[in-house]
Formats: sequence, C-alpha cells, structure tokens
Amino acid sequence: MLEIRDLHASVADKPILKGLNLTVNPGEVHAIMGPNGSGKSTLANVLSGRDNYEITGGEALFEGNSLAEMEPEERAQAGLFLAFQYPVEIPGVSNMEFLKAALESVRGAQGKEEWDSVTLLRQARAACKQVNLDASFLKRGVNEGFSGGEKKRNEIMQMMLMEPKLALLDETDSGLDIDALQVVAKGVNSLRSPERGIVLVTHYQRLLDYIVPDFVHVLYNGQIIKSGGKELALELEQKGYGWLTGEEESA
Amino acid sequence: MTVSANELALELKTQALANARRNGSEGVVLDALEGASFPQRKSERWKYTSLQALADGHLNGVAAGDIAQPLPALSECVVSITNGALTGSTLPDGVSLHHESPEVNGLETPFALYNSAVARAVVLEVAANTRVAQPIHVQIQSASDAPAHCNPRVIVKLNTGAEATVIEHYHAEGQALTNAVTALITADNAKLTHYRLQGEHASTLHIGTLVIDQQGVSTVDSYQLMTGNRLRRNDVHALVNKSGAELNMKGIFVVRNKGHVDNQMCVEHAVPNCESDQNFKGLAGESGKAVFNGRIHIHPGASGTNAELSNKNLLLNAGAEINTKPELEIYNDDVKCAHGTTVGQLDAMQQFYLQSRGIAAAEAKRMLSLGFVNELLMALPHEKVAEWATPWLEAELTQASPAGADAA
Repeated sequence: MLEIRDLHASVADKPILKGLNLTVNPGEVHAIMGPNGSGKSTLANVLSGRDNYEITGGEALFEGNSLAEMEPEERAQAGLFLAFQYPVEIPGVSNMEFLKAALESVRGAQGKEEWDSVTLLRQARAACKQVNLDASFLKRGVNEGFSGGEKKRNEIMQMMLMEPKLALLDETDSGLDIDALQVVAKGVNSLRSPERGIVLVTHYQRLLDYIVPDFVHVLYNGQIIKSGGKELALELEQKGYGWLTGEEESA
Repeated sequence: MTVSANELALELKTQALANARRNGSEGVVLDALEGASFPQRKSERWKYTSLQALADGHLNGVAAGDIAQPLPALSECVVSITNGALTGSTLPDGVSLHHESPEVNGLETPFALYNSAVARAVVLEVAANTRVAQPIHVQIQSASDAPAHCNPRVIVKLNTGAEATVIEHYHAEGQALTNAVTALITADNAKLTHYRLQGEHASTLHIGTLVIDQQGVSTVDSYQLMTGNRLRRNDVHALVNKSGAELNMKGIFVVRNKGHVDNQMCVEHAVPNCESDQNFKGLAGESGKAVFNGRIHIHPGASGTNAELSNKNLLLNAGAEINTKPELEIYNDDVKCAHGTTVGQLDAMQQFYLQSRGIAAAEAKRMLSLGFVNELLMALPHEKVAEWATPWLEAELTQASPAGADAA
C-alpha cells in the first residue's frame, strides 16, 4: 500500500530525511517513534504534500503511484489522510461546510455514492458522538476557538468520515490528557480494518498502550535505525533513545 | 485622447448648463460647480482613480437604454428609477414620495454637484413616529449601448421617531455611467437600516456619493456591498451631527479581473458623545484594484466621541492591488478612535489543510475568500438581502470572467 524507498527530503533546502525505507501493508498499524528533530513530522508532511517539503531522492509510492507527482488534494482523493499535529483554525468556514466539500470531492473521486445533506449530517453527528464532540462543533468555524484536545478529536472525527485507505497520525497524542487520549485511541481503533493501513507518528509510548501497533520503528537522523514489534516501544520507554542512537554509531 | 481636469470641468459645466437652461436655474448650477475642485491625479482624493474612461464620451450622451436583466424584487415595496427617472413605485403606509428635495449637505465632488444641478430627486419621506416594517427596495437601473450617463438622486428622510429599512440597489448594463447621489437624513429618535447593493456589469461606470446626515439623535446601520467595474468611485460622507447619534457601517468590496473600486469614506464628528463604527473587508484578484481611504474627522468640541474603523483586505494573487489607509484628523483629547487597516494574502497553511482533505486548490481559495468576509455576510439583518447577497458573493469569488465580458 505504502512503499517508501530510500527517501530523501529537504525542508527549505535543509536535508531532513536521509534514506528512509518503510513498507506498510493493508491491515497493518505502524508506529514511528524517535527523539525530537529526527524527522517524524517531516515524513508526515512530505507524504501529504505540504509546500516547502521537497523530495530530493528516492520515492514514496501509494498503491504504486508516486506521491511526488500528486497534488495534496489528489493524495486525499486517492485515500491518504493526515491527522495534523497542529490543526489550523479557519474562521468563517464552518466545519460542516468544510466536511461537505471534502467528502463530495473524496467520495466522488473514489466512486462512492454521494451523500445528500441529510445523510451527511447524520454521519457527521455520529462521528462527533464517537469522539465526544458536541454536534454544535459542526456549526462552528473549522477548529476556530477549539481547545487542543478538541482540535485533535476534530481530526479523528474527519478521519472517520473520510474512511481513508491509509491514515497518518502526526503526534495526535501530544497535548492530550488521559481521557482525551482514550477517546482518540478508541476512534482510531474503530478504524482498524484488514483493508486499512495506519501510521502513528509519536514521541511517547503512552498512545501505544491504547493503540497497539503491529510494528514499531525508530527514526533517527532521517533514517529508520531499528524496527521491531510492539515490545520495542516498551523497551524505548524504559531505556530512552540513547542506547539505540549509540548502538547505531558503534555498529 | 486624454481628459484633463479643465476639459472635465468644462464638460460638466456645459452639460449642466444645457440642462439648467431648460428649467431656468443657471445661476445655482454655476455657483455650485464654480467652487468645486476638479479631479486631478495629483490630488490626494483622486490619486488612485483615473477618469480616463470618460474620454469615451459618457458625459455627452444621455442613457436611455432598456434594462435587459432587471433586478429581482427583494421586497413587496419597490421604487424603480430607470436611467435616472422615476418609473414606478409601490410604497408602504407611512412613506410618501415627492420631488421637493431638501438641501443636501456634504456634497463635494464635481460629479455630485453636477447631479445636484441637473437631477430630479426622488424623495422618500417616512412620517414621524411611524415604524415601517416592509423594506423599501429602491432599484436604480441604467443601460446604454453607447457611452452615456444618467443622474439618479435619492433622498431618504426619516422624521422624528420614524423607523425604516431602505435597500438601495444599483444595476447597470452596457456603457452606462451612473452618476448617483443618495442622501439619508435622520431626525431625532429615527432608526434607519440601509443597504447599498451594487451588482453592475463590469463594462459600466459608477460615480456615486452617499451622504448620511444624522441631524437628530438617531441610529443608522448601513451595509454596503460592492463589486468592481470599469470605474467605480464611491464617496461616503457621514455627518454625525447630534449628541447621542450612532452610525454603523459594514461593507464588502470585491474586485476581480480589471475591476476598480475607489472608496472614499469620511465620517465627521462635530458634536460631543457620538459613536461611529466602520468595518469593511475587501478582496482583490487578477488585476483588480481597490482603494479604501477611511477618513475620520473629529472637530473641536466633539468630546466623548467613539469612532472605530477597520478595513481588512485580502489579495488573491500577486497582480491585484489594494490601497488602504486610515486618515484621522482629531482636534480633541477626549476621544476614542481605534483604527486598523491590513492587506494580507490567503494563508498557505489553511489552504493546505483544505487541500489535504481532498478539496481542489481553486475551491479551497474560494472557500477561504468567502470565509474571510463571512462574518459580514452573516451580519446582514434581512433574510431577503442575505439570500441575494450569498450567491452574488459566491459568483464573484468563484469565477473570474474575462474583463469586459459583459460589454454589449
């Protein structure tokens, strides 16, 4: 589903990713961990097509198509979803109006039946309920005046409606208290399916208590330096990253 | 061929005199025009607006065309002014229509003075202590295949304790120049809700003055929605003239393609303890050009004045131009005068957020542009106006048609 081979990427001409390899198959949940500045968020931004994040070498293929050739909206239409670390506020554009435009575009591109406004509202309300967001948030401006936790839950709510093939969650756990973390985890878990890939980018092991990954990767200095199962996350929690980055240097 | 200030002055005077001779008011006309300062590019008031388009001869011809796409009625009470002349009216109880114009203060441009000299005013007078529930939709329409002009003049007079809503709505086709004057005059305890809606074809010209003369302790709420056309000049002169009066103006202006809007706002506070608030938002795309000059003049003695002004603008692309500036003239210490004008671009992060959810770049831009002015659109108190304004704005923001595509 996602095939990243020797990916090099720069932000404002500064190389951040330096030969990253990662394969995600349908049904798998991957966690990407690593210390600050290792390139975790850069990876999420490169995959979703943000401006100024430039692929300088290697390739990232989504279902066989090169992501570098696709506009951000085309990536979304193909089934890629990024839950942002810092969701932006858009005053004046209501959440509902935004969801309508997004779902029309994505469902249309994927050949799914169009939702009329009644169906859309029903689905949106149900998704809100699942992440403990009051339905009144649908009428408000996108993320406008939302607390940190509400913004993250709004991301998960959107993800549920968009039904992506591959979901990338960029530090979705940051800034969440334990209750909100559980709500978010419940939402993500409800999306686990044999057809869907999920990539969690996270700094802490905490999220992985609730969303148990199939694979854990350690990203350091723009490369994945170690991969393992869920037990790797626990090991990192105990030992920190130092032993790994040191091991890499001595190897 | 270029138009010089002298040529323009001569042209306006000749035209005005020809009209005045017919009704024997030459003296008045000459006096009015003699004192006017004529627009030159060097003068601050006309710095951004060229009158070159008038070289086509608009002032020589009289607009007399048929309206091909007349405005929809936004109320059961409609007053129609076609090519400057009254062509129909359905009025609610308590409102009378006549042609005996009171003197209008605050007219300054030679175009407004010319209008004063030649126009037959349509005066809508609301009787004292009358609350008119039904809005009055004043449709001001002009059309001409060849360059030509007309001089609509509308005076709205609210007597003591009167309450009314007036929708001033312009439409023009072909090569018409609408040289308009509107005056809103309010007595004590009057409350006026006013709309100034402009949906004229891009090929037409509009030079208009709006005077708001609050002679009494009154409240005026004015909503002004404008699109750019080949030449649009919008002079607004508000005289907040009695202690306790309150003026609120909100507006949206959109210039796309080669459209042009020049807003010259002037709010004068001459007496103590009045409030004025202005909130305008502008959008410019392609090679559109917008001007907003927000002058607030607080005279000596006008203590306790609270005057606010905000004009935020959005440039949709690099070729567009917006010139905005607050201009404060304050001769008093005891005043509050908050003001701010900004020009910005679409936020790249917001745009990326929308695109990352599958929304195409052009649609994302449209949504963000609409979002930028949405608070003002939402503030329109009359549903019928909002129903007209929403698709009007969406159309302006969605499609950039080639400039002059509407030309006959």
